[in-house]
Amino acid sequence: MRRRAALGGLLAGALLTPRASALAGLLQVNRRPSESFVLPNGLQVVVLPSHRAPIVTQMLVYKVGSADETFGQTGIAHFLEHMMFKGTGTLAAGELSRTVARHGGRDNAFTDFDMTGYHQTIAADRLELVMRMEADRMVNLRILDGELRPERQVVLEERRMRVDNVPSELLDEAARELLFGVHKPYSMPTAGYADDVKKLGVAELAAFYRRFYAPNNAALIVAGDTTAEAVRKLAEKYYGPIPARRVEPRKRPAEGGADLPQRVVRADARVPEPRWSRDFLAPSYRVGETRYAHALQVLTRLFGGSETSRLSRALVARDRIALSARSGYGSASLGLTSFEIAVQPARGRSVAEVEAAVGEQMKMVFDGGVTAEEVERAQNQLLAAAIYSQDSLASGPRLYGSVLATGGSIAQIDGWPQAIAAVRPEDVVAAARHVWRDEGAVTSLLTPAEGWK
Amino acid sequence: MTLLRWLALVLGLALLASRAEAIEVKEVTTPLGIKAWLVEDRSTPVVALSFSFPSGSAGDPENRTGLTSLTASLLTDGAGTLDAQAFKRRQEDASVSLGFGASLDHVGGSLRLLSAHRDEAFELLRLAVSEPRFDPERIEQRRSQMIVGLSQADQRPAAVAQRTLMATLFAGHPYGANPLGTKEDLQAVTAEQIRERAASVLTRNGLIVAAVGDIDAAELSRQLDRAFGGLPAGAVRADLPGWTSPSRPRTVTLERAAPQSAVLIALPAIPRDDPDWHAAVVLAHILGGGQQSRLFTEVREKRGLAYSVSASLRTQRKASLLVISTGSAGEKVPDTLRVIKSELVRLREGATEQELAEARTYLSGSLALLLDSSGSVANLLHGLQVDRQPPDYLDRRAALIGAVKAEDVRRVARRLLREEAMTTVVVGKPPAAAGPAAEP
Repeated sequence: MRRRAALGGLLAGALLTPRASALAGLLQVNRRPSESFVLPNGLQVVVLPSHRAPIVTQMLVYKVGSADETFGQTGIAHFLEHMMFKGTGTLAAGELSRTVARHGGRDNAFTDFDMTGYHQTIAADRLELVMRMEADRMVNLRILDGELRPERQVVLEERRMRVDNVPSELLDEAARELLFGVHKPYSMPTAGYADDVKKLGVAELAAFYRRFYAPNNAALIVAGDTTAEAVRKLAEKYYGPIPARRVEPRKRPAEGGADLPQRVVRADARVPEPRWSRDFLAPSYRVGETRYAHALQVLTRLFGGSETSRLSRALVARDRIALSARSGYGSASLGLTSFEIAVQPARGRSVAEVEAAVGEQMKMVFDGGVTAEEVERAQNQLLAAAIYSQDSLASGPRLYGSVLATGGSIAQIDGWPQAIAAVRPEDVVAAARHVWRDEGAVTSLLTPAEGWK
Repeated sequence: MTLLRWLALVLGLALLASRAEAIEVKEVTTPLGIKAWLVEDRSTPVVALSFSFPSGSAGDPENRTGLTSLTASLLTDGAGTLDAQAFKRRQEDASVSLGFGASLDHVGGSLRLLSAHRDEAFELLRLAVSEPRFDPERIEQRRSQMIVGLSQADQRPAAVAQRTLMATLFAGHPYGANPLGTKEDLQAVTAEQIRERAASVLTRNGLIVAAVGDIDAAELSRQLDRAFGGLPAGAVRADLPGWTSPSRPRTVTLERAAPQSAVLIALPAIPRDDPDWHAAVVLAHILGGGQQSRLFTEVREKRGLAYSVSASLRTQRKASLLVISTGSAGEKVPDTLRVIKSELVRLREGATEQELAEARTYLSGSLALLLDSSGSVANLLHGLQVDRQPPDYLDRRAALIGAVKAEDVRRVARRLLREEAMTTVVVGKPPAAAGPAAEP
């Protein structure tokens, strides 16, 4: 189940001081300084200077997402994100994007379970322009029925494209209901249920906007060819005057959907080949046994994170049971998250064979542990990915946005390399024992219409 | 100031930032005669290489479609004394990312490395292109993966539409075949044919290389000679046959059980070296190049007929197309097609001065936004070489775009936007089966 991109492993702006000697070669990295401050109205600001190219990225992240919706009004966070591109008192509908394009820039937005983000990339000397417009729509959005109606059709088309046209996404919706519980924050789809979206109108969207869109419920990240001083001046000018508002704390359950093993099957005429996956409820940086969050990142890397991982070596290369086998874990979540194992079986292999093979690999971790060498290789890979991410201007805002919107801190980002380097083999095994439990785990089968033996 | 920064300035941000500087993409020729473009940038300890060999899936032999793609995917599955697992492990231990793929006209590769592991990275590249093993079990695995991929793609309306469009436009031409093959052809491919295809593709003749990042010309030269120097020069290849563009409209409709239909509309466009090329780039942008485009405004914003709608130019060695792409619920497809067609007719009358001015600034500035990472710059420089542009094209592009006048856009609109040459593909539920719209 893909709940969100696993951003936990891609940390830009991090000081690398790993323990193992093999990591020494990766230390030739200068620290990319980040600077941060908080405006009096509560807006958190992070500046990530990089002077490679004369461009900047502004990302404004609101600490609200589809997990903050209630059943009956699903899809509202995402629908509102679309309406944010309509007008304000001073901007006509679509004018923000048009203006950005006219100045040679690009803009877009996204909605996730825990966050909603708006971003522009543009010539560095146009930062003021985009900041003025982004601040404007934080308080002055006008939601008009005449603009909402055609946009609702656009939102429904987006759902058709991303979910209804994709059988695996429909299965994921069903699997999330079992893992997290029916009508719970992480089980309701970000795109919303179509029946709910059809009912959402101006009143509902306006109320949601007033409830969550406030400077004290947002984080501003500016990366690129600028300085903290310049950003502070602009942020004070444009975001500074917006008053703080009381925002209720966000709630996430500390429990999953069930305490028995669950199974969900989708037989679909559109599916040519079966697929098997199993999801375990897992702690994040925030909820559950958070001390395992770093060890789980190492575990997923060595267990199913590459073509030389344990799963790939055994199921794909050695036994030919699978065409691919992988695992995934994302730690940046305000609530509980999932650890997933997914297998694309080879032709003619049965469900039982796949489950036995995966089970054997899990048992080998429990009984035989993991080697220091494996752990060090996984740590190396995670840290190398962090260095590569420093080569990209887009990765910094994404990372800081996802951490800050899920209740994390800059200190946590800065400390990530050390935390990863400090993971020991016994931590990895303990994390596996904690997460890989049958109780509450959900096995998903996607099969052709005629099923899978 | 770093070179990436210079590059950004000449790519058009200079217009906005009023800071113009000369840029020199270094042209490197190695002692063994391999040519490359280099942008040196020391700000991150990363090097990105983008390269290609000038024969792609259009060179698949008859009844062996997919052979080139299969061959490319096997290049990193073991080489020299290293089997697949050992090769991947060496890659991971040095944090080297290396991958190959086939397009219609090329086999392309990308290499990304940390400076600390430069020697190891280029050694792995050398092994992959000069001593690939093609072990039988890896061939079987890749073959199975491709066959599964084909049946999965056959269930995705957008993929079926793309395949159908190419098969329709290029019936009888190599471009009409599926680059990823057919199940029958893939099953018939032998190890011997894979070796032959690799030997004929992987030569120094026509090799294109772009490098960006933490490396200087002398070191790049040395590493390129190590990696590619052992390859044979290669024979001059037979050219692909020419293509005659359609002269009558065609619509192909395929039924699939999908709530949203995929729609593609293709018009023959003009080649990259046509004097009207930059006018065509401006035209495509005004038609469907972003949130301010005419199609976005009319199809999405005003009518809510689709979530995504766009137009773009696609060029191959022997063909060039303007492709409009969208997706609508089955019952809305007729409306969507009607709106798109009327926009094509309307744009034949030309664009407004404001649209033109906005397109110019966007197209000048947006290229600079591609300078996100070393890899994206390497891809950009590689693409320019494929398009046979000189290194100083980057200096001139803003001026070329800026010189496009309203009458140029109108002229190229009349050349391109012709209903009689339009090929339309719709994949999904036909309107009758899809039922009435949920809401007016």
